[in-house]
Amino acid sequence: MELEIDGLRRRYGTVTALDGLTFAVPAGQVFGFLGPNGAGKTTAMRAIFGVTALDAGEIRWRGKPVDEAARRTFGYMPEERGLYPAMELFDQVEYFARLHGMDGSAAAKAARHWIDRLGLSGRGQTRIDTLSHGNQQRAQLAVALVHDPELLVLDEPFSGLDPGGIDDMSAILAERAAAGVTVLFSSHQLDLVEGLCEAVAIIHQGRLVVAGPVADLRRGDRPRLAVRVADDRTSAWAAGLSPSTGTVESVRADGTAEISLTTAADSQKILDLARAAGSVEHFAYEDMSLSEVFRHATGASVGQAEAEHAAAARTAGVPTGAGR
Amino acid sequence: MTALSTGPETSDRDRAPRPVRPLQLTWLVARREIRLRAKTRVFVITTAILLIAVALAVALPAILSGKSKPARIGVVGGTNATISGIVTEAGRLSGGQAVAVPQPSLAAAETALRDGDLSAVLVPDKEIIVKQVPLGGVTGSVSTLSQLAGLAKLVQTVPGAADAVAHGVTLPVRGLQAPSTSLSSRLTGLFTVVIVWVLISVYGSQIALGIGEEKSSRVVEVLLSSVRPVQLLIGKVLGIGLLALAQAAAMLVVFIIAGFASGSSLVHGATLGVVIAGGAFIVLGYAFYCTAFAAAGSLVSRQSDVNSTIMPVQLPLILAYALSYTVIYANGANTFYRVLGFLPPTSPIAMPVLYAAGDVPVWQVVVSALLCAAGTVWMARIAVRIYSNSILRTGPRISFRQAIKEIRKA
Repeated sequence: MELEIDGLRRRYGTVTALDGLTFAVPAGQVFGFLGPNGAGKTTAMRAIFGVTALDAGEIRWRGKPVDEAARRTFGYMPEERGLYPAMELFDQVEYFARLHGMDGSAAAKAARHWIDRLGLSGRGQTRIDTLSHGNQQRAQLAVALVHDPELLVLDEPFSGLDPGGIDDMSAILAERAAAGVTVLFSSHQLDLVEGLCEAVAIIHQGRLVVAGPVADLRRGDRPRLAVRVADDRTSAWAAGLSPSTGTVESVRADGTAEISLTTAADSQKILDLARAAGSVEHFAYEDMSLSEVFRHATGASVGQAEAEHAAAARTAGVPTGAGR
Repeated sequence: MTALSTGPETSDRDRAPRPVRPLQLTWLVARREIRLRAKTRVFVITTAILLIAVALAVALPAILSGKSKPARIGVVGGTNATISGIVTEAGRLSGGQAVAVPQPSLAAAETALRDGDLSAVLVPDKEIIVKQVPLGGVTGSVSTLSQLAGLAKLVQTVPGAADAVAHGVTLPVRGLQAPSTSLSSRLTGLFTVVIVWVLISVYGSQIALGIGEEKSSRVVEVLLSSVRPVQLLIGKVLGIGLLALAQAAAMLVVFIIAGFASGSSLVHGATLGVVIAGGAFIVLGYAFYCTAFAAAGSLVSRQSDVNSTIMPVQLPLILAYALSYTVIYANGANTFYRVLGFLPPTSPIAMPVLYAAGDVPVWQVVVSALLCAAGTVWMARIAVRIYSNSILRTGPRISFRQAIKEIRKA
């Protein structure tokens, strides 16, 4: 594992932001760091860069505690985007390249490369504050990428992007990962990003909920079957289902029953039962969405978790990153 | 990111970051400040205005006093030592300079007077002619000339009296106390103090505003992922300080050039010492205040709050500056102001004033400078801690009291 997050703890007054958070990120993958707003994602990412103090825990890069030299090989795109408003784009990107240790000519070359690469050609002499919102996002990404980082950390990179922008961002992340870069990004929109990353860590209240390859998590430990019988809006046919075969989790508005199976072998029994009741319109194994994975593991939906966090933060009077 | 290709990896590994020395990072930060600010129109224009102001401030009094252009007094009927002595003495007594210019005839003299070549024409023992007698009668050198020439006519009957006139008619004036420093030295002191005050306030607020900008735009979070807070702070005050120093040096050069070119008394003798002391205290004062302004800037979360957080930092400067006028225009500073001259927050302004007014010897200036240097170290240590503690904090403005309480706890 390239990046190891080990037992991070951080309290702000009475609010616990990180409560023993532990997970690891492998190299060469796009890794999603997911959870509702207020789960502690931003605090953990800031801790990687040493811009927030930790009460306990350690972050290791390639087996060693992260130090200044290691951080210089990291690229960071913070949640609250930050660039010098009055500085020209090229100067800005080049400046950050140099702060990461590149010499003058290499920094200029890399700045030009990424400005062109991110579709900002010809904007090099434009002040940041006169760029459009979307172009400012690209400028921020250029700053994170310009020194060819070995670890790329992006806090909510997809927030505020239109569908085209999401595709572009995701293509860049995939390409960096293919080049051997460890890519870690956060998102509170679990379902939006489930197709954009290979593996995820989902956290809640500063603790890890689940982690692993997206495909494994969505399949879950009990396969799920979705069955719809024609003209049966309430899935009345499923009343005859024995609990040893499977249980109806919920019935959708169109009458599709979501059934969690005890074993995959029993699916044929269910099909027989459905066919006896009428014409079967839909019969398929279905994966859970990541927000369902979250709900299964925590007993609360992402929306409920965010509302609880917002209420707690209001009571404690602590500013939170959940301002979106 | 629409024009994006996911083509082959273009970056080569020789671009990979190399180890960076801490000073190199500090210098990169300083260089950004210099480049960005020196390029702005505001900087170019204010520098030009400041330099012109300095040149005018130095040269105008010299030009207006007419020292560089003596009054030409035409003398009809030939000059001798007595006549030219009277003319020279009249110029001196009236606070300027006058020279006797022999004229071949009265007609020629009148023509020259009409053309403006002469200020007045003296016809010995008879009259003084001017182009036009002003309302309220003649004043200045012409008035003095008429009195002296009349006196000369009166004393011609006394043997040797004419020679006395030619060699000066005034009696010496003796003071019981040693003479106070000249007004020109005091004015140089005032000038120095204005520069110290302007440079520290202007560049100090630029530091605070710049840090407020970094904090409110959140760029500081990206910066601090590769730079330490102390490197960022030192780089910033160093860059802005070098700009301030360059501006001060340019003003000094203009001061000296304009001073010599116009024959101003400001650049002679003890006055140059005042300028040197002023220069030293500009550097010391900036060094003392720059970190304090940085700490003030780190307390805000919106740039517009900067003006209120830098107010407490500016107070000692304002106090010393306001009181400096009482010293410049008085004989001897009061004890309170002398104390201000040795306290690091006020000495950068108070000490050049005291020195310019001749109220302190050189060794006291040196002691004050050493105290200020020590105070600078003390201030920098506190300010760096406040800055490091506050720069990443979001939320409402932090008060100085709160910031100091926190660094005490830490």
